[in-house]
Amino acid sequence: MWLDKIVENINYIGAIALFVIGLRIVVTHSNLIKRIMGINIMGTGVFLFFVAIGNVTGGVPPIINPNVDDQLFINPIPSVLILTGIVVVVSITVYSLSLVVRIYENYKTIDQKELSRLISEENDEH
Amino acid sequence: MNIEQLPIINLLLFLLMALVIPLLKRKPFKITLILGFIVLGLVLISSSYLLWHVNNKGVIHYTFGGHEARFGIEFIVDPFSALFTTIIAGLAAIIYIYSSGDATEGIEKTEYGRYYVLLFILLMSMFGILYTNDLFNTYVFIEILSITTCAIISIKRKKDTYTSAFRYVMMNELGSLSYLFGVALIYMATGFTNITLISESIQNAFVSYPVNIVVALGFMIIGLGIKAAIFPFHIWLPDAHSAAPSTSSAILSAIVIKVYILVLVKVLFRVFKLDILNEMNISTILLVLAGVAMIMGSVFAIAQKDVKRMLGYSSVAQMGYILLGIGLLSFEGLRAAFFHILSHGLMKTALFLSVGEIIFYKKTRKVNDFDGMGFIMPVAMGVFSIAALGMIGIPLTSGFISKLNLGVAVLDQNQIIFLVILILSSLLNVIYYLPIIILAFLKNEKYRYRLKSIEPTPRTMIAPLVLLGVLIVVVGLFPNQIMVFIEAAVNSLLS
Repeated sequence: MWLDKIVENINYIGAIALFVIGLRIVVTHSNLIKRIMGINIMGTGVFLFFVAIGNVTGGVPPIINPNVDDQLFINPIPSVLILTGIVVVVSITVYSLSLVVRIYENYKTIDQKELSRLISEENDEH
Repeated sequence: MNIEQLPIINLLLFLLMALVIPLLKRKPFKITLILGFIVLGLVLISSSYLLWHVNNKGVIHYTFGGHEARFGIEFIVDPFSALFTTIIAGLAAIIYIYSSGDATEGIEKTEYGRYYVLLFILLMSMFGILYTNDLFNTYVFIEILSITTCAIISIKRKKDTYTSAFRYVMMNELGSLSYLFGVALIYMATGFTNITLISESIQNAFVSYPVNIVVALGFMIIGLGIKAAIFPFHIWLPDAHSAAPSTSSAILSAIVIKVYILVLVKVLFRVFKLDILNEMNISTILLVLAGVAMIMGSVFAIAQKDVKRMLGYSSVAQMGYILLGIGLLSFEGLRAAFFHILSHGLMKTALFLSVGEIIFYKKTRKVNDFDGMGFIMPVAMGVFSIAALGMIGIPLTSGFISKLNLGVAVLDQNQIIFLVILILSSLLNVIYYLPIIILAFLKNEKYRYRLKSIEPTPRTMIAPLVLLGVLIVVVGLFPNQIMVFIEAAVNSLLS
């Protein structure tokens, strides 16, 4: 009974699992590159959720086939929206990775704890 | 040309300007500046005309490519979006004049062009957020806005800007993804991303899928709360706003965080509507957040030694005021909140720009170094004092009117405790603003001999400061002229 429910909603459960995993990585890891990966995982979770909404059981991609009548199409709009979302997350990733490069050039570290220590030391000197 | 196309032309003007700047690289920089000013002037004129048009002749709808609203993207120009685009264009023009006066301190000469490219894309995305009537389209514009603000923060080649920009990116992205998750849940329950269509079917969706709607509302409030620096989510703001160049601090603090709170207003009052909000008792949650922000923002500001960080924390407290007005979910509350968005925009711009001028010439950011500054830089400190008095809420300034309206709105809903918090927060404002004014004008006359040795300030930097000072007083003296437009905006949200 409950197993059926899980199988039915496996897309949504997977999406939320990805979202939470990503959130945990962003909040708890101190490695800056890992945090960027966390953002990506979170984003993937949201995108999977969006695409899963558009899914129709037994549906086919919305391309009209003249030989078959009465086709059941999946909803293409969420997939199209998510194309935009993917582009956005890629650009955010590129920008934040370039920031990490600059941070590494200046501080020779990409560890958040190390960074905070260095910054507070610098502030004490002034 | 059709009047319906005017909002699109506003966006296109900004985008074209951002495109043209790199092409003018080999020409003298003055040409770029003048061209940019013409663009801003044109947009200001067209958005004021739109404001007049929507208030007298009716709302403008525009659908891209002629697709009907449920498939395409729809732009709506109503009293709400027209009012705030006009305010943004006006403030941006003032800040632009100031920034052309060579005040882009800390940016290399070859990068001036890039700064203005980012500035125009930033303005474009803010106009888009306000005009659009589509939740997913709002998300796209929000991402453009957050990436350009981060880039504008990290434009200075200084170590600390990179770390604060990185923190800002991470927090911002958490906010955007939470917002997108909320949009997904609403889409799941209603099948639309268009705000008008959602609002028609959300009542039924709330009956059949209550969990979806509740979770979506939670995700959207938290996501936009992170971006608008509402109290527990404010940690990125002081770093980011103090690390940025002064002109961009003014833009970020006075305009950008307001845009996010306006999106929140749109989501609350256009998408979910009052019935659902009352049923879930959202009012209490928002009011508690606002009350904590008003007190804690001011308390943190008192402890700051860096004047720009202090202004950043003061913004956190002021966002609490705005959220208080919104959280009352009443006509008076929204009116006070909208008026405070305008008056805080004016005051914060004045504060950041005058401090920017002081940093530009005196190279100091410490509050303690402001002794006798009133004798050295009378105009900058004069405007700073007017704006600071406005922040405290002294009569004759616009800050007084917004606090008066907030107080009336709070009493109207019988929330006496928030009136106490409002007064307490104002008193805390006194603690950190008044000492600076006293230090600057009354203490330490030993600096007087420097009076003749100061550098002459460019007129392009003085003029916007004086204009802002005058505007703060004028809005404080004649609030009723603007109140008409604000009330129209509130009515368009509540109807």
